[in-house]
Amino acid sequence: MITTKDLTKVYRTRDREVTALDGVDLHVHEGEVFGVVGQSGAGKSSLIRCVNLLERPTSGTVTVDGQELTALAGNGKRAGKELRAARGRIGMVFQHFNLLSSRSVLGNVELPLEILGHSGQERTRKAHELLDLVGLADKAKAYPAQLSGGQKQRVGIARALAGDPKVLLSDEATSALDPETTRSVLQLLRDLKEQLGLTVLLITHEMDVVKAVCDSAALMKNGRITESGTVPELLATPGSELARELFPVGGVPSAPGRTVVDVTFHGETTTEPVISKLSRTYNVDISILGAAMDTVAGKQVGRMRIELPGSFEDNVVPIGFLREQGLTVDVAAVARDDAPDTGKTDAADSAAGLVKEGAK
Amino acid sequence: MTWSEIQPLLTQGFWDTLYMVGWSALVALLGGLPLGVLLVLTDKGGMLHNAPVNKVVGAVVNVGRSLPFIILLIALIPFTRLVVGQSVGSTAAIVPLAIGAIPFFARLVETAVREVDRGLVEAVQAMGGGTPTVVFKALLPQALPSLVAGLTTTVIVLIGYSAMAGTVGGGGLGSVAVQYGYQRFETSVMVATVVALIVIVTAVQLIGDAVVRLLTAGRGGEGAAGRWPARLGRGRTVGVAAAVVVPLALIGYGVGQGGEDKQTLTIAASPTPHAEILEYVEKNLAEKEGLKLDIRKFNDYVVPNTATESGEVDANFFQHKPYLDDFNKKQHTHIEPVVNVELEPLGLYSKKEKSLKGIGSGDTVAVPNDSTNEGRSLHLLDEHGLIELKPGAGQEATLGDIADTKGLKFKELEAAAVPRALDDVDAAVVNGNYAVDAGLNPAKDALVAEEAKGNPYANFLAVKDGNQDDPRIKKLAKLLNSEQVKEFIQDKYQGAIEPVFGPVGS
Repeated sequence: MITTKDLTKVYRTRDREVTALDGVDLHVHEGEVFGVVGQSGAGKSSLIRCVNLLERPTSGTVTVDGQELTALAGNGKRAGKELRAARGRIGMVFQHFNLLSSRSVLGNVELPLEILGHSGQERTRKAHELLDLVGLADKAKAYPAQLSGGQKQRVGIARALAGDPKVLLSDEATSALDPETTRSVLQLLRDLKEQLGLTVLLITHEMDVVKAVCDSAALMKNGRITESGTVPELLATPGSELARELFPVGGVPSAPGRTVVDVTFHGETTTEPVISKLSRTYNVDISILGAAMDTVAGKQVGRMRIELPGSFEDNVVPIGFLREQGLTVDVAAVARDDAPDTGKTDAADSAAGLVKEGAK
Repeated sequence: MTWSEIQPLLTQGFWDTLYMVGWSALVALLGGLPLGVLLVLTDKGGMLHNAPVNKVVGAVVNVGRSLPFIILLIALIPFTRLVVGQSVGSTAAIVPLAIGAIPFFARLVETAVREVDRGLVEAVQAMGGGTPTVVFKALLPQALPSLVAGLTTTVIVLIGYSAMAGTVGGGGLGSVAVQYGYQRFETSVMVATVVALIVIVTAVQLIGDAVVRLLTAGRGGEGAAGRWPARLGRGRTVGVAAAVVVPLALIGYGVGQGGEDKQTLTIAASPTPHAEILEYVEKNLAEKEGLKLDIRKFNDYVVPNTATESGEVDANFFQHKPYLDDFNKKQHTHIEPVVNVELEPLGLYSKKEKSLKGIGSGDTVAVPNDSTNEGRSLHLLDEHGLIELKPGAGQEATLGDIADTKGLKFKELEAAAVPRALDDVDAAVVNGNYAVDAGLNPAKDALVAEEAKGNPYANFLAVKDGNQDDPRIKKLAKLLNSEQVKEFIQDKYQGAIEPVFGPVGS
């Protein structure tokens, strides 16, 4: 639905160049919620603005719903007629809502309909419909200044849907909201996606957002996409930074010379009693250092950090058993701070080796 | 002056001010708004980023803002005539006022529009809106309260500027204050005018603030949520009503002013004593002769002649022969004198000394700084032996033409300001009319004064060459040289101004 090919964006100032996007290939499939995560300055913002050409990429192509937007006329800040029409079919939601304080809630939702050339009556009818959809039917006559942050973003979403878009872009839509409001707004996005068959591309720096709504995700660093895939795929990828970020598990070994292993459960394995099977089969004592369980994209996913006695070499067989059970297993490169130098180095070395092996 | 005399001055001044300020504010709004928006759009990072256009528009705006208004007023005379068909009167004052206010308002618009969150621009663009949509649906509505505040400031600045409109005969309250308060020492008029101006400025500011408050309150910026619809409705209604009614009233006034009787003789005159003599003629003598006069007052000595040359006024009465000869030569005009009326003898005055003998080496003497009055002053001093001019020094002699100052020091001041300097200098050469305005009596107070007989500085009625035989001019000339006018001048001015009738010598 959204495809970018070798997208680059370079900002030139008088004395230097800043590369915001460095060859980004992105594929967002129809009907999915795709999250791009990364720290600020990673290029997320440039990426989402290049998708509807609010910023024109330096090179590369953007195709949305089969239409190559980068081929449409218009340069720099000025958009040609075709590009403006194409933008009308792409909704966009902003971090700071960007509502016009001079217009009522209804007026704000009517604005894109005015731009699309709908008649007065039609605009009002449609705007009321959209406000109903986001649960703000009773606030039509209020002004943005009278709304809470969550309500403002709901207006922003209603406005973004005015052109019956197939694609919705969300630029840190929940970053200015408190956790509870964030949840309800994300739930609304998810519901609307199902109801209207939207494809959503969102950028965020919050892993919770990805966990709550995303079907797929990509990690952005220094203008490049370093990992990308559906959430289950990512969780099944050993050494995945995104998976680790999504389910951070903490805990340090209780004593030197022990092996720490991060185990990811997904799909069928979540319901299997693998840890107790392992314990019984190999007669090992297993300590659980940390664990997290959650629902991602409607599926139960869990991560657990466990400790096995002895060095990595002693535990090759039990780890193999876990892999056989369909789990993703990473040997964690952690050691106790007071561990003897030798033990620490061993564990770190072997762990690093394994991560490399897993990444192959 | 009594209140009954002041009141019509104030009323007329009020309407003139309202007329000039109203129209020029409207033009400034229409001109400054697009310029201000253009400055934002073409700036770096703007939607229509265009460095050359931005620089040129910015430079034009800066030049417009740095020109002193009085210079703009005079420099724009040809342009004014082109636009409104005349260069004198209230309507003519609107053009320089508007031109002066456009760049001022444009900068305020620029600031207001720049304050609009860029995110809103982005949102409208993301909806598929083009530049016009961004401007009209986002930038201007969002900036509206600031724009109204800016317009309020502009109107108040225009009220200040309009005080100078007297230069081109525009009238208005400020001009009344200058004519009566500054030049004629009528403190009561000045106070009344200044109070009226304060009231007007305060009212404008209050109305502007109220509109801004209503606009922001309507947006839910303040006040209880439950009450806003009613308040919004009323606010909008009041705002729209004011926005429609005020300009309409002003336009109506302008149209009402437009219709003029072809039989009326329009005369440009200095306020004192020329306009006063003409007013005496108008009230007491003209009607019997079937003559109607429209007397336009000017503080300036250029516009009355250029307006006579262009036919905007039929005649003028403010100058003497040496000035006119010089003017005709330099400006290539064809103004001809018709008949002498009066002389304002220059006199030497002092607050420190009682007689001419007391003025001597080491004393400071103030003289007018314009070419004719300065020359005339120096010749007066020369005749009475206070200085010695170089042989052959002409009528436009300057300080450089003095052969021997005999120890005197000189201060050159604007003619109208000289009497005010009397406290600070030992003596001053003052024009008769300004002396009277300052409460001096030329017959009694002057240490020495010019002789009326054979004086080339007699003031006369003048017309464009060819109009000397206009029957209306002939009637006016006859009335100005009548016995009644002679008595009026002698009674009213007590020697400060002397009637000098008859043809103008060459």
